[in-house]
Amino acid sequence: MKFKWAWVWIILGIVYFFLPLVATINFSLKAERGRYSFRAYQIVLQDPQFISSFTLSIQIALLTIVFSLLLIVPTVYWAHLRLPQVRPILEFIAFLPFVLPAVVLVFGLIRIYSGPPFALFNRAWGTNLIMVGAYMALALPYMYRSVDTGLRAIDVRTLTEAAQSLGASWPVILWRVIFPNLRTALLSGAFLTFAIVIGEYTIAAFLGRFTFGPYLALLVRNRAYEPAALSILSFAITWSIMGLIQWLTYRAPGSTQVAAGPR
Amino acid sequence: MPFLEIEHLHKQFGTLNAVADFNLQMHKGEFVSLLGSSGCGKTTALRMIAGFEAPTGGIIRLNGRDVSRVPANRRHIGMVFQSYALFPNMNVADNIGFGLKIKGQPAAAIQAKVHELLALIQLPDKGRSYPYQLSGGQQQRVALARALAIEPQVLLLDEPLSALDAKTRVELRQEIRDIQKKLNMTTIYVTHDQEEAMSLSDRVVVMNKGVIEQIGTPFAIYNYPKTAFTASFVGQLNVLPVTVTDGAAGECRFYDQPLKLKEAFAAANQSTATIALRPEELRLGQQDGHNHLTGIVENNTFLGAIIRLRLRVEQTTLLADLFNERQMVIPRDGETITINFPPHACWILDNQLN
Amino acid sequence: MATESIPTVYTPQFPSWRHRLARLTPWLGVVPFFLFALAFLLGPASYLLVGSLRDLQGNFTLDNYRNLNQPLVKGAYILSIQISAITALGGGLFGFLLAYAVTIGGLPRFVRSGLLTFSGVASNFAGVPLAFAFIATLGRIGLLTTWLKLIGLDIYDRGFTLYSFAGLSLTYMYFQFPLMVLIITPALEGLKREWREAAENLGASSWQYWWYVALPVLLPSILGTMILLFANAFGAHATAFALTGGTYNLVTILIGAQMRGDVLRDPGLGYALAMGMVLIMTVSITGYTLLQRRAERWLKR
Repeated sequence: MKFKWAWVWIILGIVYFFLPLVATINFSLKAERGRYSFRAYQIVLQDPQFISSFTLSIQIALLTIVFSLLLIVPTVYWAHLRLPQVRPILEFIAFLPFVLPAVVLVFGLIRIYSGPPFALFNRAWGTNLIMVGAYMALALPYMYRSVDTGLRAIDVRTLTEAAQSLGASWPVILWRVIFPNLRTALLSGAFLTFAIVIGEYTIAAFLGRFTFGPYLALLVRNRAYEPAALSILSFAITWSIMGLIQWLTYRAPGSTQVAAGPR
Repeated sequence: MPFLEIEHLHKQFGTLNAVADFNLQMHKGEFVSLLGSSGCGKTTALRMIAGFEAPTGGIIRLNGRDVSRVPANRRHIGMVFQSYALFPNMNVADNIGFGLKIKGQPAAAIQAKVHELLALIQLPDKGRSYPYQLSGGQQQRVALARALAIEPQVLLLDEPLSALDAKTRVELRQEIRDIQKKLNMTTIYVTHDQEEAMSLSDRVVVMNKGVIEQIGTPFAIYNYPKTAFTASFVGQLNVLPVTVTDGAAGECRFYDQPLKLKEAFAAANQSTATIALRPEELRLGQQDGHNHLTGIVENNTFLGAIIRLRLRVEQTTLLADLFNERQMVIPRDGETITINFPPHACWILDNQLN
Repeated sequence: MATESIPTVYTPQFPSWRHRLARLTPWLGVVPFFLFALAFLLGPASYLLVGSLRDLQGNFTLDNYRNLNQPLVKGAYILSIQISAITALGGGLFGFLLAYAVTIGGLPRFVRSGLLTFSGVASNFAGVPLAFAFIATLGRIGLLTTWLKLIGLDIYDRGFTLYSFAGLSLTYMYFQFPLMVLIITPALEGLKREWREAAENLGASSWQYWWYVALPVLLPSILGTMILLFANAFGAHATAFALTGGTYNLVTILIGAQMRGDVLRDPGLGYALAMGMVLIMTVSITGYTLLQRRAERWLKR
């Protein structure tokens, strides 16, 4: 058989991709001297700090998803239906998070909202509000693109007019006609948002909220085996979310989600 | 001596015979179409001539020289693709000049040639345009010019018009033929559109399931089809199952209506046979010396120059294309009418149609 | 005209305020979104911009931008640009080779879908966990480090450390090359077979086809994606911070330090530092968008 360079690159890619994983798994299993065990996982999963930080991250992620959907779906739907001239502006805004790295975004947010007249950081709900808003901003490009392509794929105007001509009210149109047709787009957008928020470090750390990201960073500095276990856990989360998205968008080939989470 | 000779060309994909025993001789400047439905092997045959597919067997001789093992980029055969395949990164002039640039010709010579070709395809001002700025028809003209620029020995066109709308198709088709005649370019044209093949070609090659059914002039293919496939693929055809009453006298029976053919045929009396008849040979009414059939009008379609009747005779439906005349009385649906046709209009098919 | 004689029943002299309002109501639907954008994107950005243009007394000045020209800040920019450029080039090249291997390289179909899945995961796997995975691999007692030691190559003795330019670059590459794979694979698949055949037909060799057709067609996509990778690395903070604990002087790390404790001892300079970053990001993202648009325009139809 003819020698193919292609295989060389692929094998190199596989090594590059899997070696850090193997190393981390290997590390995570060596908490007990001289033998492989799940000790590190046990310790970490029972750590009250892990439980509280991970729960907080999940809560924040869910809030971000809910508010993102509530904000973006009606807006984009409305723009498609009644205000096509506003779509370029929306697109421009949805592009802004790309030029505002997380660290710059949080810089600006802290400077605005820490002082009067807002002074939001004095209370936990204020900080949480800023945090959810910041994550909504981070996830905006992906959520927007999901919803926009979803709406573009179905002919919103015709669908809405057809529903209206059959006597449907606005809530019925949204809930029974538009939403079901957008389900895949919304779900993949939501999962992507989850993936971005769940392990985010920069914004959480500077806002002083002890979520999963800062917790893991703390462990990395102070412990050896436990962060390995958590890294594997977080890799598993990323993997399952990407798997879910791929499974969801299976019927729409070529729609591989290109995302760039927090670096 | 023929300019292009193809002998026993054969291509096998796994167990599938894509092209089997393809033989064709063309003289310089001839325009030949390969006609058939999709998957009949016409494109595979063309791609073997171009050098994109290696033949399983057979010889392609160009100007006396065997080229069947010569790589595509040294065959000097021009090709026009269905999807235009213009290079999107180059403007029209660069596309047309590409082959000459590869040959290492001086810039001035390339420019002159491009200029000449742009005039030929009637797009003199489009040299600086990019493919995405052109319509489909314009893109295909540029593709044609690009193929002609290298002054190929043979020009191959692979369904060049099927991506275009009906009007452009007819215009461009005529233009291709004019240019081909002007340059005396030996041309092979692949199409599934019989009208295209008939109107353009000096000769038509009808293909079916990888095999050549018939090679002939459009006139011969239409009026003297050798096989049932050719007869039915090219134009409309009525097929009448008949019982032979006297083969030597050319007489037979369609249900209980007698028919007479011009030529005698060798078949035993009372055996069954199939007769073919073009719809446009049928006329309304009686005429001495002609065959007559009586049936019920199922419906009629007004097509402008032609009125197409569907006529039911027992269990068989016949098509009759009548020329439109202003004083004509069109038979009503359900009416029983008689039609006639001359004995020389119908012929016995040698094998059964499926 | 006949209609002139018909008395007009109702002629509004001016568009009434009701009419004006009716024309504005559709805009109400997008108000919440604009409020959000104002609060969480435009607001913070403008605050930084305004801050960067003011001195301590609140007067307009460009001094903050002039003051960027000092060793600490300049060093941070240079380092950030270097690491982003190197990983964009390296990740871009490696990603391209991988994408080439699975599209034109003639590998079985499952390799392609496998690579795309892995790339989807890896491009999203960054930040703290990624940093730790590389500590476990190439840290002082990492798996690869110990393996290499077994075959007699002590990379730390030879001057390598994960907490350096090389180490950070290797780590960044992990989220860089998959992004290239994801974006460039469709572009490679967009190369039509007919282009190659047409080129061959006109006498071009395989090499000439690549030089004159395939590469120029791909160039906008390749360049654009590499610019995107540049921006991708330039904005990275968590990975570098987790890996080096804030000792490595990148722009993002410096901004973080300024936020925590005014290390520059000049708030205005901090804002200018952030705005410089936004400027570089804007230029790269715009470049990416323009090039991508050009690529799409070519491939249309």
